[in-house]
Amino acid sequence: MSSEPVFVLPGDHIDPSLIPSHPKKPVRLGPGLRHVPPSDLLPTLAGQLVTDRQKNAIRVETSNGRYIPRVGELVIGTINKSASEVYFVSLSDYTAPALLPQLSFESATKKTRPILAPGALVYARVTLANKHMDAELECVSASTGKADGLGPLVGGMLFTVSVGMARLLMMPKKAQQGKVVVLDELADAGLQFETATGRNGRLWVDSDSTKTIIVVGRAIQETDQKSLGADEQRKLVKKLIKELS
Amino acid sequence: MPREAEPSLSERTFTLQAISEGLRLDSRKLDQFRPLELSFGDEYGVADVKLGKTRVLAKVSAEVTVPFSDRPFDGIFQITSELGPMVAPSFEVNRPTETEILLARLLEKTIRRSGALDTESLCLIAGQKCWSVRVDLHILSADGNLIDSSCLAVVAALRHFRRPDTSIEGETLTIYTAAEREPVPLSWLHSPFCTTFDFFGEDGEIVLVDTTWLEEQLRVGSVTFSLNKHGEICQISKLGGKPVEATLIIQCAQMALAKSKEFTDLVDARLAEDAKRRDKGGLMAELSAENER
Amino acid sequence: MASPTAELSHLPKTDGSANFAYGGYTITAAVNGPVEAQRRDENPFEALVDVNVRPAAGVGGTGERQLEAILQPALRHLIPVRNFPRCVIQVTLQVMETPENAYVNPKVMQPRLNLGIIPALLHAAILGLLTAAVPMKTVASATCLVITDADGSSVKVDPTPAEIDQARSVHVLGFTAGRDLLLAESEGSFSADEWATVLQTAEKVCCRSQEAGGDAEMGGYGAESENVQQFMRSVLEAKAAEGLHWR
Repeated sequence: MSSEPVFVLPGDHIDPSLIPSHPKKPVRLGPGLRHVPPSDLLPTLAGQLVTDRQKNAIRVETSNGRYIPRVGELVIGTINKSASEVYFVSLSDYTAPALLPQLSFESATKKTRPILAPGALVYARVTLANKHMDAELECVSASTGKADGLGPLVGGMLFTVSVGMARLLMMPKKAQQGKVVVLDELADAGLQFETATGRNGRLWVDSDSTKTIIVVGRAIQETDQKSLGADEQRKLVKKLIKELS
Repeated sequence: MPREAEPSLSERTFTLQAISEGLRLDSRKLDQFRPLELSFGDEYGVADVKLGKTRVLAKVSAEVTVPFSDRPFDGIFQITSELGPMVAPSFEVNRPTETEILLARLLEKTIRRSGALDTESLCLIAGQKCWSVRVDLHILSADGNLIDSSCLAVVAALRHFRRPDTSIEGETLTIYTAAEREPVPLSWLHSPFCTTFDFFGEDGEIVLVDTTWLEEQLRVGSVTFSLNKHGEICQISKLGGKPVEATLIIQCAQMALAKSKEFTDLVDARLAEDAKRRDKGGLMAELSAENER
Repeated sequence: MASPTAELSHLPKTDGSANFAYGGYTITAAVNGPVEAQRRDENPFEALVDVNVRPAAGVGGTGERQLEAILQPALRHLIPVRNFPRCVIQVTLQVMETPENAYVNPKVMQPRLNLGIIPALLHAAILGLLTAAVPMKTVASATCLVITDADGSSVKVDPTPAEIDQARSVHVLGFTAGRDLLLAESEGSFSADEWATVLQTAEKVCCRSQEAGGDAEMGGYGAESENVQQFMRSVLEAKAAEGLHWR
């Protein structure tokens, strides 16, 4: 499924053998690649070229950079202000805010909409993202009308992580695929907490104990900043648990 | 217009809650500084200070110019500091924000007005030629506590700097290049250091030292002491904020004195290491043209 | 001349940062973007590339503005600006060190065009942009050359500041990875033929492929001047491998 690590710089020529060629499916270009008509594929980011032959997709993997909204991704946003029918939500510092309709919450009607103060956090899904318009979000699934975990996040604490780390945390099997074992280790050590991760590099942690939240946040941030492997993560967790008691 | 980044409600509530329980996000104690690193560049007069994620670089340079007409016996000494877009996109070039102005004023009062550098020693020919020493403070990354780290960087850089040697014979002034004669240090009288204390809580009763950017946004008051290791105070500033118990201020002064002694030892140690690094073979003592006093 | 060195992502609060040192020049680049542009700078069709050059000593003056004016179109050409309308990509270049000349006392406040620093600024900016994951069309590198009258009219690559002062003309040329000329600045007196030689030499130096040694033409000057594009590739590859160690 994944090929040998091939490092590319923007403008590099890609070896045709790395481009997946399924007889029926079209090639899907992920982030970091540019199509130059008629048939050239050029990388636009410096990173590892990853080919997924099953999905017939190809992309360039990087772990740093600023978040750029893409449709379908789950993000944690901060409410800036509210206008007539819509909230302005900031997904990352210094970028243009995204729009979240005030009725886009579970069982919200014109009379019973949730009031969110500036500074409140929401867990939302991106519904519209292109370069010409402000991004748009929703806190409820458009088809079923259920929230599925989306909506305001109350209390807890927000930590910033890199975009790459956020992606690892959101993998379905993070311990195996992403080699992020910190959260499991901390839970095994008896700490009780819940987390929510946004693709825009934000991690929300909540627990009854203040110390637990601090420990979880520190563990993830250190794993991120120092690119710790699985064993090093276990050592870090042991150290933090010892400091706790 | 890129807005100033602001912390979210969760961050605010949680951080204040943690502080009221005596906890900080990086598990430091309330009166503990972040790991402080001071290093010097290859050129004389370049000091790089890292305090957690805050990073500042001070560079000292000197050139010969005409002294001010109202002060013919003094040299010129100025400190410039500028926060640019490197720190955050909300800082524009040439548009000083409140942070920048307060920082510049504090450094001015602490280092210039206290006479840490003897400006009379910078005079070459009265009324005609003098040294103009300038310190440029470059803020590379700001995560709270710019004041303490900036002051440390400026003082360290000034003590590290060497200006070209000069000699006067009758009316002629000769300025030697580095290749002709070893440069000489500036005439330094005392080393002032700043320590900032931030107040939190209902009555400002909780005191934190060396706050990160997030903690700084949530403080209700702050006081900055500038003093040297002998306990001579250069300035104290508490610019507004919640009124605080006087006894607390006295306690902070004591802590500031202890901190100042610590900083002085740190700078002395780093300067000694740097001198040793440059002085391979012990030739420095022979090359110096200064008389033994 | 010592090999180039670089430190990537060393500033924690910027989107991308790089510290590049070569030939006595050390430059720190900080890149933020794409971020929202101010009303007055907003362009509805493309991103604005904002370059700021801050000198080591003194506040920026006319010399720095000219350096920015040279670098901005070069960087703008490398970034697909039409992908980010109404945004700004800020590149701040802080000069940390310049080569010391022990025979001359430095004058701080004289505005003068310093062509020798342009390659270092460009390389630091590109490394900064790549660590910030700002999409780029291609990478580029630049080199500085002088024409001296020392042994007849000869071209020297990577001159020292003393050599620049004494040379008859100074040239800076930048090429993209695809061998296209990206920037060309010259100062001094020279003939069109001399410039053609300079162009050829610079192209060889910048776009040299990976063959190690053995190239007879490179013997005169190529041995000292490193292939910066190769260096950038290797340092970025190491950084990427570190961040993606879990793969």
